[in-house]
Amino acid sequence: MTEQAIFPEMGEEIVRAEGLRKTFTLSRKQQKIEKTGITRKTAVDGLSFSAYRGQIYGLLGPNGAGKTTTLRILSTLIRPDAGDAFVCGCSVLKEPQKVRDKIGFMTSELKLDGFFTPDYLFRFFGEMHGVDKDTIEKRKTELFSRFGIDKFAQVRVKDLSTGMKQKISLVVSIVHDPDVIIFDEPTNGLDVLTAKVVTDFLAELKNMGKSIILSTHIFSLVEKLCDRVSIIIDGKSVADGTLEDICAGDTLESKFFEIYKNVKGDEL
Amino acid sequence: MKLLALMKKEFHRFFHDPRLIITMLIPGLLIFCIYSILGSALWGEDETGYSFHVYVSGESALGTMVEEVVGDGWKMTPAEDIEAAKKQVEEGEATALVVFSEDFDEKMANYTPASGESAPAIVIYYNAADEGSLAFYQLATTAFDLYEQQISNKFNIVPHNYATDTDIVTSMMSGLLPFLVVIFIFSACMSVTLESVAGEKERGTLATILITSARRSDVALGKIIPLSCISAIGATSSFLGVILSLPKLMGMSIGGFMTSFGFVSYLALFLLILSVVPLIVSLVSVVSTYARSVKEASAYTSVVMILTMVLSIVSAFISGIGDWIVVVPVLNAVVCMQSILTGSMMIWQTFVSVGVNLVYTALLVFAISKMFSSERIMFGS
Ligand SMILES: Nc1ncnc2c1ncn2[C@@H]1O[C@H](COP(=O)(O)OP(=O)(O)O)[C@@H](O)[C@H]1O
Ligand SMILES: [Mg+2]
Repeated sequence: MTEQAIFPEMGEEIVRAEGLRKTFTLSRKQQKIEKTGITRKTAVDGLSFSAYRGQIYGLLGPNGAGKTTTLRILSTLIRPDAGDAFVCGCSVLKEPQKVRDKIGFMTSELKLDGFFTPDYLFRFFGEMHGVDKDTIEKRKTELFSRFGIDKFAQVRVKDLSTGMKQKISLVVSIVHDPDVIIFDEPTNGLDVLTAKVVTDFLAELKNMGKSIILSTHIFSLVEKLCDRVSIIIDGKSVADGTLEDICAGDTLESKFFEIYKNVKGDEL
Repeated sequence: MKLLALMKKEFHRFFHDPRLIITMLIPGLLIFCIYSILGSALWGEDETGYSFHVYVSGESALGTMVEEVVGDGWKMTPAEDIEAAKKQVEEGEATALVVFSEDFDEKMANYTPASGESAPAIVIYYNAADEGSLAFYQLATTAFDLYEQQISNKFNIVPHNYATDTDIVTSMMSGLLPFLVVIFIFSACMSVTLESVAGEKERGTLATILITSARRSDVALGKIIPLSCISAIGATSSFLGVILSLPKLMGMSIGGFMTSFGFVSYLALFLLILSVVPLIVSLVSVVSTYARSVKEASAYTSVVMILTMVLSIVSAFISGIGDWIVVVPVLNAVVCMQSILTGSMMIWQTFVSVGVNLVYTALLVFAISKMFSSERIMFGS
């Protein structure tokens, strides 16, 4: 265990978001779905936070709070309208290419082509990140055996079980040994067994010294995994700190609703 | 490096999936079968049962030579009345009429180009729209040419073709073929590109590549280059299907059909096709990148395809389109192919068209890489 893991507060800052803002123009169809006549929607509204090396940082909030948008900004898939974010010191606005090599982004929306084998995909994505061939092979042997993929390395992904598919997605997304792993709704839509595969994987990554930022609306997941948490409501951070600080002896769930009531009034 | 890996992946995806390979090759095969069957039904099976009937006017030892080259089954009759013989050839009752100029053999033996007189001539009246007539013309000219080469250019061959521009052969070949070629290129490009671009976007596998540090332009080229190569295979297969079956459809022999163009024409046709393939692949890719699903993409692409088809057929059958057509993508190729097939090819037109198509392709590739960076298009939810 490193000193940083024992004294989380002393860990080096690895991701910093500064006043992130993102407003979407809603199409007519989206207006109907949202049941509003408003044409613009501010998904992220001046969000700032810091995450530290070797820790798991959680963004907790209800659906539509702006979590996915925030994580997409961090992973350079979309650009903020205002503010900036830094990953390992690199700006997502000015050096998106560098940021992409420092992060592994995981979400259920990103899929692997089931036609290929885990072996092929691992090598392909390694090359996409500019990792040299020897390193790819070394990491492949190590990660495949660590997560029990080695036996299935030459089987097409589409012929594998859901849990195994999930493991392969996870392993492929860290082929380039990123310092930061960003994970949008890690257990959403997964059956209990696959969800366990994912949470175990995250714990394992933390043991490997990785820094993780995840988003979720599930209290138990935060309680189980996160060192620090930020509660996001309507694109703003309304509470931020270590899990213990935020809960202050109460459960996370009751604390969350207390905060939610304070912010939104009595509407629930 | 990354571009190479992206391209390899695309090829791997295609060549390890027998289903995809078969769907790429089947159109060509089907075209060949359908057209050939249609052709046999139209023209009957008695391809060898013609009674060939060639009139010869004037005396020459070359006449006997041609008789020997052509062999059995060809009847050579001296022409009593030249005008009547011409009429018979024109109406298709006789195969051809060969007229040797007066005292041909003697003049040929004594002829020197330096004398300034015109060389003795062989005039061949034939009808290229008729398989037998065309075949005879080709055999006879080949034989005369060979002979002439031995005696160092001492006579002229004057062909006189009764087939006119309105004949079914030329109009089918020059009008229909470019149109068919464009359709086949389009369908070849469509099947792979929709699946590979719109399909990958819809399934979320394209986004997985976009979160890596690969450049957007590499991702775009990594799609367009392999997909163009693959589509070119399909387009070639369809093209061969047409080329090999059209003669049957028109009741001609494949050999006779093929030799009616030269090597340069074939090369020009091939270049034009090769320039249209990446252009259409890029066009379908732009549409596929923009669309949210394969279904949406194929709906848009169908509209583009129908538009191209209508414009192609219009430009194929409108005579006297101005030179400006060379700057119109795809249609420039249609018009060039048409002029190649009617034997009025202009080299500059072909080269400019090929160049123009490549420029449009480059612009589209640029547009695709821009679209890949557009969050509204790629992640517009
Ligand atoms: N591309 C987009 N276009 C329009 N509105 C969007 C887009 N992406 C997200 N939104 C809107 O922004 C808000 C926040 O969305 P999101 O970040 O996905 O929230 P969360 O992940 O916390 O559920 C929602 O109201 C959503 O409808
Ligand atoms: Mg979300």
